[in-house]
Amino acid sequence: MTTRDILRRARRSLAQAKVRTILTSLAIAVGAFTVTLALAAGEGGRQYTEEMVKTSGDAGSLNVYPKRIEPKNDKLTEYGTAENSPSQRNTLSESDVAKIKKIDGVANVQPIYDIQPRYVTRGDGYKKYVAAVNVKIHRTEMKLSAGSLDDNRIPIGGISVSEELLSSFGFSNATSAIGQKIIINFPKLTASGESTEESFNKTFKIAAVDHGTDATLYYQPSLNISVDDGKEVYDYQMSGSSSDKYDGVVVELKDGVDVKNAKETIAGQNYEVYSLQDIRETLLQMVNIAQWGMVAFGALAILASIFGIINTQYISVLERTQQIGLMKALGARKKDIARLFRYEAAWVGFLGGVAGTVLALLVGFANPLIAKTLGLEKGVELLVFQPLTSLILIIVMMTIAISAGYFPSRKAAKLDPIEALRTE
Amino acid sequence: MIEVKNVTKTYGKKNNAFVALDNVSFTIPDGASVAILGKSGSGKSTLMHAISGLDKPEKGEIIIDGKNILALNQKAIDKFRSRTISFIFQSFFVQANESCYDNVSLPLEISGTAVNRRKKRIEDALTAVELLDKKKSRARDLSGGQKQRLAVARAIVGNPRILFADEPTGNLDSATGQVVEDLLFGYNKDNDVTLIVVTHDPDLAKRCDIQIHIKDGKIESIEGNE
Repeated sequence: MTTRDILRRARRSLAQAKVRTILTSLAIAVGAFTVTLALAAGEGGRQYTEEMVKTSGDAGSLNVYPKRIEPKNDKLTEYGTAENSPSQRNTLSESDVAKIKKIDGVANVQPIYDIQPRYVTRGDGYKKYVAAVNVKIHRTEMKLSAGSLDDNRIPIGGISVSEELLSSFGFSNATSAIGQKIIINFPKLTASGESTEESFNKTFKIAAVDHGTDATLYYQPSLNISVDDGKEVYDYQMSGSSSDKYDGVVVELKDGVDVKNAKETIAGQNYEVYSLQDIRETLLQMVNIAQWGMVAFGALAILASIFGIINTQYISVLERTQQIGLMKALGARKKDIARLFRYEAAWVGFLGGVAGTVLALLVGFANPLIAKTLGLEKGVELLVFQPLTSLILIIVMMTIAISAGYFPSRKAAKLDPIEALRTE
Repeated sequence: MIEVKNVTKTYGKKNNAFVALDNVSFTIPDGASVAILGKSGSGKSTLMHAISGLDKPEKGEIIIDGKNILALNQKAIDKFRSRTISFIFQSFFVQANESCYDNVSLPLEISGTAVNRRKKRIEDALTAVELLDKKKSRARDLSGGQKQRLAVARAIVGNPRILFADEPTGNLDSATGQVVEDLLFGYNKDNDVTLIVVTHDPDLAKRCDIQIHIKDGKIESIEGNE
């Protein structure tokens, strides 16, 4: 018999036992539904995590700080011993920058400029405000309400302003703020870091208006200026003291360099190294654990459905003893009979797989509701379905169903036609 | 020609052994109609199963067209059954949920007949039993006589050379039984197909060229009409 003929007969047999077919398929559908949702939630979780990491910092760069002096064998290190000279080790110097620059895979070493504005204003006749001004060193993604940034960097002479701050400055909307000027007053600092009367005003042009997202790990409404402007301000503020003392540096790695390896290399040179990559991996691991936990529940449902298929198929073989006997008497081969029942099982698996997937996709329409309930930003999708995954899942369901149909189909194939056709 | 030589078939073992066929031998010429007569339990069904390759007697030979079918492997026997022989049963065994067309299609599917050659043959077979107008009806909606005619169509669609009929009129009233008998004998004469009827109905047996009487697994007598 040809595959086509057997498939047609298998489909017809199932159509004749509609209720039974639907019920058996539903058991598989529950499993397929759970697994599809778990995979979708896992994918959504991973994408959300990546988004979170991307807007919270640059996972391809490392933050390097002076080595902390940690207790050794549970004992604190005594001050002033040869092992440390705290005054030097609390900050990084230009020689540290040069040293790190030489390490393999390092593209750029950017000192972190900690600048301290006195006030921020739009100019004469406007109020002066106290606001946080940061130097944007990382290529951390900024979510922009207006304006544009090249490679997520602030242009020289430009500044980004958080949307939340616009009203204070008297801007009615984000677009109208672009191109407007912002003046920041920076005082000169003493060696101990206190402000002096001496100060200078620097004028910036608003290049972008940004806003935080719920995905950002830590978002503080602030103003951001470029690295070059930051250096100028930092040098001015620190001119009273040694200006090559940095709290830390940001190390940008060359493309394709393994962040983990680079981190270990730099840490090996006696520095404290932090990378967003670590947080990213931890978060992804959590998402994956949650996903596979859910998949395991789905697998249990599928396992239970296997017994349903076996049971149904056995009943079907009993019911159709006469049909099987007739087919064998007419010369049907054992393998044809076995295939007939296996294809029926495959149909059941297919129907269950498709039903489960479609149901799960329908749940996907609840994405906005889920985001709203969890207090996430509009448009965030926590259930992300992938067509290929669904396709593979349906094929897996069919394979499982066929395996479940193995014993019943073997029983059918082995049926003695004389017994089967005995007239009762 | 069908030659049955010294066929013995025993069911059960040792003390419970039951000899269903005891050293049975006879010959059936091509195109003949043969009645195998006997009471129930006489061994007539076992004999039919043996000749059709459904059952394997432990002794003897059954030579059809020069080949001993008892010596064939399963694949060859399946092929022999799908190409050379066909069956009609007392309880019809038509598939109630399938259309008449699909019922008749089954032997062609089993023998691997190409899809484009099936339609004409199925319709010809249905025409021969006057059921073409019921082609799309489900078999369950047919009367008993129609069901057996459908079974005849299913039996002849593959152009078999030997047709086995196991009590073909046993479940039919005499009028509809007559129609089915006429169909079978007509097909036997027109197409030179060997017809082997297993029955205990003497009137049906009389219409056959040869009557083989079986009792307790042995041949009691073989009578010929010619």
